[in-house]
Amino acid sequence: MKFENYHPVINLIFFVSAVYMAIAFSHPVYIALSFIAFFAYSVKRCGKKQLVFNLLLIPLILLFTAYYSFYTHFGVTVIKQNYIGNSITLESVLYGLSIGMRAGTVLMIMSLVLKLFTSDRVTYLFGRVSPKLSLFISVALRMIPRANDYARKINEAQMCIGKGKGQGNIFRRFTNSLRRVYILLMWFFENIVEESHSMKARGYSLKGRTAFSIYRFDNRDRSIILLFSICITFIMSMKFLSQTDIFYNPQLIIGRITAVSVGGYIVYFIYLMLPCIIETVNDIRYRKNI
Amino acid sequence: MKKARKMAQFEISDLSFTYPLKEEKTIKNINLKVESGEFITLIGRSGSGKTTLLRQLKTVLAPVGKKEGTVLFNGKELSTIGLREESSKIGYVMQNPESQTVTDRVWHELAFGLESLGVDQNTIRLRVAEMASFFGIQNWFNKDVAELSGGQKQLLNLASVMAMQPEVLILDEPTSQLDPIAASDFLATIKKINLELGTTIIITEHRLEDVIHMSDRIIVMEDGKIIADEKPENVGKVLLQKNSEIFHSMPTPVKVYYSVKSDGMPPLTVREGRSWLLKEFDERDIRVKDLNPDSIYDIDDKELALEVKEVWMRYRKEGDDILKDVNLFVPSGSIFALLGGNGTGKSTLLKVISGICSPYRGSIRVKGKKASRDLLGKTITMLPQDPKSIFVKKTVKEELMEMVEKGEEEKIMELAKLCEVDSLFDSHPYDLSGGETERVALCKVLLTDPDILLLDEPTKGMDNFFKEKFAEIMINLKKRGVTVILVSHDAEFCAEYADYTGLFFDGSVITVNVPDRFFRNNSFYTTKANRMSKGIFDAVKTSDLIELYRINQGQ
Repeated sequence: MKFENYHPVINLIFFVSAVYMAIAFSHPVYIALSFIAFFAYSVKRCGKKQLVFNLLLIPLILLFTAYYSFYTHFGVTVIKQNYIGNSITLESVLYGLSIGMRAGTVLMIMSLVLKLFTSDRVTYLFGRVSPKLSLFISVALRMIPRANDYARKINEAQMCIGKGKGQGNIFRRFTNSLRRVYILLMWFFENIVEESHSMKARGYSLKGRTAFSIYRFDNRDRSIILLFSICITFIMSMKFLSQTDIFYNPQLIIGRITAVSVGGYIVYFIYLMLPCIIETVNDIRYRKNI
Repeated sequence: MKKARKMAQFEISDLSFTYPLKEEKTIKNINLKVESGEFITLIGRSGSGKTTLLRQLKTVLAPVGKKEGTVLFNGKELSTIGLREESSKIGYVMQNPESQTVTDRVWHELAFGLESLGVDQNTIRLRVAEMASFFGIQNWFNKDVAELSGGQKQLLNLASVMAMQPEVLILDEPTSQLDPIAASDFLATIKKINLELGTTIIITEHRLEDVIHMSDRIIVMEDGKIIADEKPENVGKVLLQKNSEIFHSMPTPVKVYYSVKSDGMPPLTVREGRSWLLKEFDERDIRVKDLNPDSIYDIDDKELALEVKEVWMRYRKEGDDILKDVNLFVPSGSIFALLGGNGTGKSTLLKVISGICSPYRGSIRVKGKKASRDLLGKTITMLPQDPKSIFVKKTVKEELMEMVEKGEEEKIMELAKLCEVDSLFDSHPYDLSGGETERVALCKVLLTDPDILLLDEPTKGMDNFFKEKFAEIMINLKKRGVTVILVSHDAEFCAEYADYTGLFFDGSVITVNVPDRFFRNNSFYTTKANRMSKGIFDAVKTSDLIELYRINQGQ
């Protein structure tokens, strides 16, 4: 079973909370944990290409750190002076690194979001807000591939009368592209009329629209939401106990590592790894069955 | 307690309708009674008022204009029953499968109507599941609508209307955009709905052959009036007596029957036609079995307009081969028809010939020159499937003028006459009827002076009258030396007008022959006349069959 087999609301809670935590927590351990967790999960879900992407992120993060520390000069621990005489401080290096890592984590989360949030999940989530809004999104999602397809047909048809893409001189090519846009617009308006007929015929203008979804909130969803709330409560109490933040400016001030803070690290890591753990457990279970 | 209903489902009395700014009524004094559970087929030429009439039965779709007369639905005036009741009880399916599906997911489309009615989750879930099972679409329930074929989309439109549990289903040429196999599947489903759910069906359809035997009544419209309202077996005779041109759209068995007999019950289907012929020629000597026994396929000494040799093509590097070793030789100045099912690669072949796509192996020579994009729009051209995709001007005349240099107006007049669009010069290209749009588009592409004209499914959505007209244009072009290559599903059309026919299957041309020889041995890709007379005569065209019948009956 995949993480997206859970109810879309659960996916939403997880990713929103993960993005929030990745950005808001400035403690290096937390930053490192979220980086590792999403490195692992994104590679598991999106495959080799994602691995290359993630590995490329690392030099970019280092480059950003260098850039940041070169131009920002707070902090008291001077490492070196650059050639124009400004100090490069340990604080600014570490802060730059922390920003870079956080941004990298968010990018990895985003590639997971794109992979996991298929259009019907997005539509469903908007449907919770307003049925009309979700319908609008659904209609737009249907329209885009059709418009693309029709644009291709227009070009092929125009080529048959010698006015397609890449036919004629530069001036002609420009006017030809305007023609294609014009025809696409005409098609679009005509199409909207027909679509609206089909919608009206099925009672679109009636009051009290509901939004149907194929998702169900079942016990599995309830149990994971329970687990989520325990983790999130624990992590957020860490936040309120200032366990998730450190000071970079003017001086590096890190809270003492206690049993509680170690507990915080563990819970945080488990929380972020939950989807990955669930999927791995399931993979193993299936393998056994076969 | 609810009383059992005795009144008719629809009772239309003295209904007339006039569009704004028009003098003449589009439909005139229509009187029609439709009983609950009936299967009614409405036929007539395009522009005879069929759609206008159907739209009067669904007030949200009724056009603006002056309406006279009354429409009663279950005994109540239609306009008083309210939008909610009307939405659920009167289902309406239109022509274009594409623009009717409005959402991006199959399940969402199915639920659309019920969402509008404000039905709760659990009920929608049940109804949607029920309809998906009834229509056999449960396997693509979670798919994106864009992945479906045209036939599947139209079936989905039907299912999403049926999910609202309508009492009446109105269908306006629902199969005109589908290929013949998808069309007959669709119509069979309509019949299933009628038989198993008791839903009243009112359908307009130009493929009369596929619906006539299912219908309870056939209603014929001409110039906004009902000229016949008959049982299927009588309608041919009535039309013949009235000398109506709609008789041409009757199924082949009916046409053959009335060409040789004047009364009695005509056969409606190929099966009935066959048993009728078998009975007629039982224990009778067949003197002439074949009208042209000597026709052979021979292009050896002919000049070739197109040579396709061992062409292979795929769209993406990792993709499958769409064309596999295609070989094709088309003589100059001929009409060449390629038949084949959906998704066999016919349209891709046309794209390769025209130069829109290029093959990765093999050679194509157009009039002796290597095929390329440079020839497109000059030596070779293609009629676009959607004619509107080449219209940009305000009038038909401007549309044609932009294709020629100044001082070449004669050329326009000449081709406009050929395509019969000279009377439409001042109309806006978007205001034309389907057939007129097609002709204007044809005229426009012909102004590029092509030697070869490619047609992709030209007869899709055409009624029989327009098909004949279109064929006439094709034959005139042939006389001017233009080579016409068409791909089609339409065996009747190809048999009647093509000089050569080929079968395209799984990415290559399986066989090429003259129509007479080609269709004779096929059992599916062949004409109705051939299927009717198999084993009795060797006839391919309807006219041949009639001729053979006459000769052998000694008439």
